[in-house]
Amino acid sequence: MIAYRCEDSPECIFTAIYRAYEEKCDPRDTRICLTEDPLLFAEDRPVTVEEEKAEKVLRTLRRRFGEEDLQSLCLCLASPSEDKGQAAYRTIAKGLGRGCRPGHLFDDLADPDVHKAFALARGAGNELHHLYGFLRFQELEGGILYARIGPKNDLTAFLMPHFADRFPEENFLIQDEPRGLCGVHPVGKEWFLVQSGQIFLRAGAEGESIEERGTAPLRQTRERLMFSAGEEEIQELFRCFCRTIAIEERWNLELQRNLLPLRFRGYMTEF
Amino acid sequence: MEYLANGSTRSLMEKLAILSDAAKYDVACTSSGVERQGTGTGVGNCLKMGICHSFSSDGRCISLLKILMTNECIYDCKYCLNRRSNDVPRAIFTPEEICTLTMEFYRRNYIEGLFLSSGIVNSPDCTMELLCRTLALLRGKYRFQGYIHVKAIPGADGELIRRAGFLADRMSVNLELPTAEGLRLLAPNKHRKNILGPMRQIQTGIQVNQNELTVYRHAPRFVSGGQSTQMIIGATQENDYQILKVAESLYRKFELKRVFYSAFVNVNQDASLPALPGGPPLLREHRLYQADFLLRFYGFEAEELLDEERPFFNVLLDPKEDWAVRHLEQFPVEVNKASLEMLLRVPGIGVKSARRIVAARRSAKLDFQDLKKIGVVLKRAVYFITCGGRLMYPLKLEEDAIVRNLTEKEDRIRLGSDGMTYRQMSLFDDASFADGLHKLPLSQVPPDRRRNVRKYDCLPM
Ligand code: SF4
Repeated sequence: MIAYRCEDSPECIFTAIYRAYEEKCDPRDTRICLTEDPLLFAEDRPVTVEEEKAEKVLRTLRRRFGEEDLQSLCLCLASPSEDKGQAAYRTIAKGLGRGCRPGHLFDDLADPDVHKAFALARGAGNELHHLYGFLRFQELEGGILYARIGPKNDLTAFLMPHFADRFPEENFLIQDEPRGLCGVHPVGKEWFLVQSGQIFLRAGAEGESIEERGTAPLRQTRERLMFSAGEEEIQELFRCFCRTIAIEERWNLELQRNLLPLRFRGYMTEF
Repeated sequence: MEYLANGSTRSLMEKLAILSDAAKYDVACTSSGVERQGTGTGVGNCLKMGICHSFSSDGRCISLLKILMTNECIYDCKYCLNRRSNDVPRAIFTPEEICTLTMEFYRRNYIEGLFLSSGIVNSPDCTMELLCRTLALLRGKYRFQGYIHVKAIPGADGELIRRAGFLADRMSVNLELPTAEGLRLLAPNKHRKNILGPMRQIQTGIQVNQNELTVYRHAPRFVSGGQSTQMIIGATQENDYQILKVAESLYRKFELKRVFYSAFVNVNQDASLPALPGGPPLLREHRLYQADFLLRFYGFEAEELLDEERPFFNVLLDPKEDWAVRHLEQFPVEVNKASLEMLLRVPGIGVKSARRIVAARRSAKLDFQDLKKIGVVLKRAVYFITCGGRLMYPLKLEEDAIVRNLTEKEDRIRLGSDGMTYRQMSLFDDASFADGLHKLPLSQVPPDRRRNVRKYDCLPM
């Protein structure tokens, strides 16, 4: 048994997968581990990210399985599960092994590894879709849009392209509070991710990396979180809208809770 | 214009409160059906599957800023809060105000776009003209590329409707009531022909546009998210069968994307309308949505679900279970062999799980555990399927036993049907649903029966 020891990042897991092929491992006797838990009779091989190898794996996956299945694999790797690396690796190995066509990577749901990867990807995908809707921006001084999120899965890298496409002319920030991760979109430039430490927007000291890479308007946010003059009123307008749009005769808080789980509400303007 | 001056002293907040309150009975809130990437400038894009941004206290989705341009109205529809004869606070938005609200809400990711409807000011033409002006401003000056759903005002000039169609992603004309008779009774100013006219015009417009688009890829798009309509359920005497037949023919003859059903809420306490002490007929609305989905995605026809003899849905069983129980001769089906069409007819198997079954059984022989992983609701499916020729466990495959297992004892007792056979129950249903049980509010439907109550008003289709 060979155990590749990875850090929890897609790049690292893809690097490990590359090496497993390069080093001619038998997938049935190889593990991709995200923890330090010792494995009996296993030969440990520590993995550090090698961009080139990860890139190559990505290209192969895209070519062989298509964009949609690749997206599902990446979503699987965004989940908090410790088994995700192994599930993704086995799914990929089986897919390559049976020469499956694009769009069919997850067909064999009776297989435990494929099902695991599928279930993780579906969970992350559902949460991503929730956040497309439930994420809320607030306007800071200078017109910057700022959103806080706290999802179970690591989704910032999936949210950024969606909002960058939607708001090409806005400076915006999406901050994953529990992970201390921040996505930054300066107008007219590519978006990027930075470690935000805890709350760089409120403290300032943590904001160095933003200052280095960001644009002028972003710099203002370093001092403290200041809302723009009109922000309060717009929020009040939306709360008013949410109140009046409900039909009293149909009141159903249980249904509301099923569709909009409580854990999202702490981050939402209208609750 | 006198109307524009009328409410001008109101604050934006007051106007929003009045005009969203007045719009809330319109059910459609979907933002789906259009895939449009951002252009790199302006604001907005659209996703095919649509996005729900919030859910209000009634559990309905908030996807679009749903407002009336004005609740002034020269008509007097009996069921409508905004009718001329009601003394309610009136307001009117200026086009600029609508644009500001849409843009500011959209930037903060509160909404997917705008749903704009209106009472009739002055005339249908005048109203439609104002709607067009607003949309043109939003698309032009504000460069808004998000989702827009606009009402076509019955009786408005065809050219105005055409203009709106090039600015909007979805249009709808509300049928309001399932039959011309109902319309005559409750909406004396509206005529069936004025409703079907613009509906046909939009359908033709979409067809012509599709041909243009195959020739010129960049031709402007006309109502690319398709058109929808809505019917009020329970204000008039139509039965479920009639309503479902109307929906079916709207899908077939007018190629509608969606038909929405709106449980009647008696806001005016008008003597000509039913009182509904139990609240709006939500269960009935729910059954209609279920049946509607069976028509569109499961290959069922209205005639299979209901007929002249059984014109109302079963209270205890959903329409698919009800159909299956009446067709036990076709079950159980072998999951590893059955056609996709047949799998779709099994209670507990949805469209996604049916497709997954077909994909998964290519590489392995499926057993019940696999079906569970795939997402099949075994609790309901077990009576109708075998895996490798075997039932999940020994079962009595007989009508009354299955119905007993599919329903909850407490419901049967509450509805007074416990101890009855399925046949007796069906007869009993017919006689009493029309004005009694069928108006059960959803809150009285036990949770297990409610599992399918999902986002019917905004599902991505
Ligand atoms: S036309 Fe009828 S339904 Fe529409 S706003 Fe006027 S009164 Fe209400």
